[in-house]
Amino acid sequence: MSSRSMFLRILWKLLGASRGRLAVALIALTSGAAVCSALLNVNLDAERKLTQEFRTLGANVVIAPPSGGNEAALADAAILDRIASLHLARIVATAPYLYVAANSGSQPVILAGTWFDQVSKMNSWWKLEGGAVTSRDDREDCLVGVTAARQLGLSPGSSVQLRSGERNISFTVAGIVTTGGAEDNQILTNLDSVQTFAGLPGRVSLVQLSVSGTPAEIVEVTQKLAENLPELDVRPVRQIAAAEGTILGKIRGMIFWTIALILILSMLGVLASMAALAMERRRDVGLMKALGGTVPRIMRLFLAEAGALGAVGGLIGFLLGVVLARWIGERIFGVVISARFEVLPITILLTVGVALAGSFPLRLLGRVRPAEILRGE
Amino acid sequence: MAPVVQVEQLDKRYGDVRALDHISFEVEPGEWIAIMGPSGSGKTTLINILGGLDHPTGGRVVVDGLEIGNLGERELTRYRADKIGFVFQQFHLVPYLTALENVMLAQYFHSITDEKEAEEALRRVGLGDRLDHVPAALSGGEQQRVAIARALINQPKVILADEPTGNLDEANEGIILKLLRELHDAGHTILVVTHSQAIGNLADRRVELEHGRLARIVSPSLAKD
Repeated sequence: MSSRSMFLRILWKLLGASRGRLAVALIALTSGAAVCSALLNVNLDAERKLTQEFRTLGANVVIAPPSGGNEAALADAAILDRIASLHLARIVATAPYLYVAANSGSQPVILAGTWFDQVSKMNSWWKLEGGAVTSRDDREDCLVGVTAARQLGLSPGSSVQLRSGERNISFTVAGIVTTGGAEDNQILTNLDSVQTFAGLPGRVSLVQLSVSGTPAEIVEVTQKLAENLPELDVRPVRQIAAAEGTILGKIRGMIFWTIALILILSMLGVLASMAALAMERRRDVGLMKALGGTVPRIMRLFLAEAGALGAVGGLIGFLLGVVLARWIGERIFGVVISARFEVLPITILLTVGVALAGSFPLRLLGRVRPAEILRGE
Repeated sequence: MAPVVQVEQLDKRYGDVRALDHISFEVEPGEWIAIMGPSGSGKTTLINILGGLDHPTGGRVVVDGLEIGNLGERELTRYRADKIGFVFQQFHLVPYLTALENVMLAQYFHSITDEKEAEEALRRVGLGDRLDHVPAALSGGEQQRVAIARALINQPKVILADEPTGNLDEANEGIILKLLRELHDAGHTILVVTHSQAIGNLADRRVELEHGRLARIVSPSLAKD
């Protein structure tokens, strides 16, 4: 029989001999591993889901011509085709805007032309009273920002006449929109209508983009756009990027520290069991040393035992963690968290590490003096 | 023939207590030595030093040509695995290993394990039908026989037995004595710490200690003459 077979044979007997104490250590390891696995699953999946959620919070990248002191600088609408031709999968929505200063009666107001199908994708929190404008071909209807509607005395169904220089245009108010932003002071309608009204066909003031991904991925997309649109300013919307980065950073930090705390608690549990086990094994170690067992060879047995315990605890903990993550996802985030198998090796490695650290009292057994243990006199 | 054990002016102190005081004697290969004396006379200290389980304070101990007094822990461990077979009063078997595995444990720490050889060693001590029994399922005498099989498995130069019959009834004592005699007849060098006059009388020589000093070395056969 090879030394390895005998090693495994003794290891198996060791595991069986101290079932009670090892079961306590295994419970501590499994509990720790389950929480770690759940949190890591939640972290990875929640990050993906949160970045999706962030994409409903408005544009996070704006492309505009450099103003050069001229606020009314315009870009060619062909940039929309150039953006599309880059096939950047992370771009969720692309909304061009053309802003024109107009008057409704004697009241000045900003008329904004855009693509409503794209705007609705990136601004799902906008509150709408009345009907929506959904088609890019709708040249009759407009949405009016809540402040502008109050100032102009408009409500859904009423019509609004706008004048810019010699040009006139009228729309039916489909709905009143509350955005919490500049749009509350604007009248929004389709891009084509505004370009025709202003005599600026094929021109846009700016393009808003909703880009999915982590802050780093968004920066990457921004850089790619800037390289391909060198004549334009490509800027991330800092508040959103910063908020996203901060929230994800905080979640990550909370998960990291929670995992660290749980692992320390698990280690203390293992430490307590192993300290008791070490007391029980003093005689065995003394005997093994008397029989010619070197300290490293004896310790290998105990460390393998702890490692095996950690691996089993990590595996069971991972499976329990997947269930726990699903429960957390449904109860707290309202989403289904799927199992991430890259968490399995991490959980097992962490748990084996905790088991080895917790087996410190067994390592102290190397100092046992056989003569004292085996003394018969 | 060169002595297998040479003890010269061996001293051992524990603080102010002198456990061994200038002990000197030699053991020839194949000899059976009984180390005797009252409790506290230094018998176990002597056998622990001979077995490499303890360090002498002074003097010289040479076993099979190796001076063990100055060896480090690692060398002493190797020395125990290579040259010494221990038999303890308390048997000291690993409780969760079977009789066979307890014997193989000594092989494992010595070199490689050979299950057939371990089985044969247990058959030699009459435990061929107890291979898979754990110590708790064996009688005291059977446990001590497992310990003897374990002590013999690596063909040690010296067998050190500390009160091997101290925990046994008369019947089992008889079995162990018979085994020791067979080992002696087979040429093994045996040093036995004992209070038993019966074992003392079977030995080639008795090394008698008193208060850590060598009181006398008696050769029972000559004494009988």
